[in-house]
Amino acid sequence: MSFINSFISQTIVYTVVYTLASLGIVVSGRAGIFNVASEGIMLASASSGFLTAYLTGNALFGFLAGSLMGAVFGLIIAFVHEKFKVNQFILGISLVILGTGLSDLLYKLIIGIKLTAPRAPATPLVKIPLISKIPVFSAFLTQDVIVYFMYAASILLWWFYYRTKLGLETRAIGESPKAADVVGVNVTKRRYLSTIIGSALIGIAGAYLPILITGTYTPDISAGRGFMAIGIAIFASWRPERAILGGFLFAAIEVIAFRLQVISQRIPYQFLLMLPFILVLVVMIIFNKQIEFPASVGKPYSRE
Amino acid sequence: MEKDVKRTESSTIIRNIFVYLVSVLLALGIMAIVVLLFGFNVSKVLRTLLTSSFRTSFGFQETIKKTIPLIFTTFAFTLPFRIKFFNIGGWGQMLFGATIVTVVGLTILKSGITLPAYIMIPLLIIVGILAGGFFGLIAGSLTAKYNINPIISTIMLNFVGVQFLNFIATNPYFKDPLEGHPITLPLPKSATLGFFGGIPNSIIFAVISIFFVYILIKKTRLGYEINAIGYNLDAAKTYGINFPRIIILTFFIAGALGGLAGTFEVMNIHKKLVEGFASTSGAQYGTFGILTSLIVAGDPIGVPVAAFFMSVLLVGADALQRTMQVPVELVFLSQALIVLFIVIIRQRFERRV
Repeated sequence: MSFINSFISQTIVYTVVYTLASLGIVVSGRAGIFNVASEGIMLASASSGFLTAYLTGNALFGFLAGSLMGAVFGLIIAFVHEKFKVNQFILGISLVILGTGLSDLLYKLIIGIKLTAPRAPATPLVKIPLISKIPVFSAFLTQDVIVYFMYAASILLWWFYYRTKLGLETRAIGESPKAADVVGVNVTKRRYLSTIIGSALIGIAGAYLPILITGTYTPDISAGRGFMAIGIAIFASWRPERAILGGFLFAAIEVIAFRLQVISQRIPYQFLLMLPFILVLVVMIIFNKQIEFPASVGKPYSRE
Repeated sequence: MEKDVKRTESSTIIRNIFVYLVSVLLALGIMAIVVLLFGFNVSKVLRTLLTSSFRTSFGFQETIKKTIPLIFTTFAFTLPFRIKFFNIGGWGQMLFGATIVTVVGLTILKSGITLPAYIMIPLLIIVGILAGGFFGLIAGSLTAKYNINPIISTIMLNFVGVQFLNFIATNPYFKDPLEGHPITLPLPKSATLGFFGGIPNSIIFAVISIFFVYILIKKTRLGYEINAIGYNLDAAKTYGINFPRIIILTFFIAGALGGLAGTFEVMNIHKKLVEGFASTSGAQYGTFGILTSLIVAGDPIGVPVAAFFMSVLLVGADALQRTMQVPVELVFLSQALIVLFIVIIRQRFERRV
């Protein structure tokens, strides 16, 4: 039992990273912006979030700074795309490189090179009374604040997109911006908002890595998870409630690969590290027929 | 239409120069402000950044050493870019090429066969082409068959390439017993390329690749079909162009070119496989190949010039870190900004025309 509990609890921690990042991609994508910059946003937010948490001694300020950094990236994406109609993929790839450079630069300029790496302030776990006494549930419900934030965000976003008029309108932009425009939806404004909020979510995912998982910042800390989040968003057919399932699946694979590394010396660990990336492709091949895309995701829209 | 193209050609060149100049000045301006804020000597920083490649012959040789692999990874991005697909996998293709070339070279060495250089070198180059091409082929086939965006597939393959390289570099069978760090045995001498006045001999192959891509795009049927798809996919399909075949072929050739970047890094520069290769120079060429290609917007003739320019900045960045402790990332950031500005300004012009 304790094995299952520790496995779930560790998986949930990684689920946060995958889920929040892919939720961010879903939110941008629903309004028609394909956010391929996620890896860069995560890195920049990881560094700025960690630095803020370290300097203020408060993890929550770190998450605030991480989401703010994400929001700034979102604003840049929305502005450059909406104003200049620059191809979203070109823009995204440039921002990945920009974010990667920015993350290490910030750390080097503010911390420099230290013999012992500075550590993020500790964050207390929150236990839900009563429910957390039930065996398996306890692993899901004895976690840090951001885990609950992830649960809430997944449910709220599902509710928003599938149960509210505003959500339906926003989905319409992702399907056909012209149709949405005709019925009076302000396409540009919604795209700005969706991209900024989506990128802020990715930013929280990025800040979570150094503040709550490793405790220290290291270069390239996201290690491709921002890219995998794109795969999860696609695999989830851009649905928030599926993104959290996809996030859990890939987190579980990462944790299994990690544990196998410790248990078995027989399988070279490099192949275990490859596994999640190969699996993204395998999953996309298997579910190829079921995957749905918002029809106009990645495409620019202008009225004329 | 041919006449129109000729008439606007000179104004296009002037426009491009304007776009490049403004973008570079803007990005360097931003960099200068950051440098100033952190208390560095601005004029010395800019001088070091821009002139390190030209002040010493060592600087120039280093620049050419970086330009060669960059030309290959830039072409790896450029070809699929012409059909509006993004090959982010130059990095992985390069690493896989480097790894397989090392494996084949060392297996021949270990089996005790001695092949002369005139067999060994072409053999390993073909191996590198096939290895990189194989990675490209996977991405191309996944797009053609399952409509999986190559951005996703090539990125995933990058990480597979990184781990596979580390697996080979740390493998006891290939490991150099005299080295503490995970490094493979050196390749046999007949499998390596030399230098001519400090310039790697692989520059010959970089030049060949420029002609190859130019002829491919301008003079062959495949090139014509690639251009047609890039111009209008639906029209090209209507005229009977076999889209799946073209995309698979394009990605194979792109991957092969990426693979050559790694092949020559191993055969001419390192002469063995180092574990950290993936994250150091490997990552640099993979990433900057994309940026370089975006600068020239898929034009093969501009590639060597842009690759040289990017290499000047990379050499300048190294010098800045070494002599003035300015973080290299500041230069990387400026390079990304240069590309972003070029893309934005160019787009503005195109919309106005």
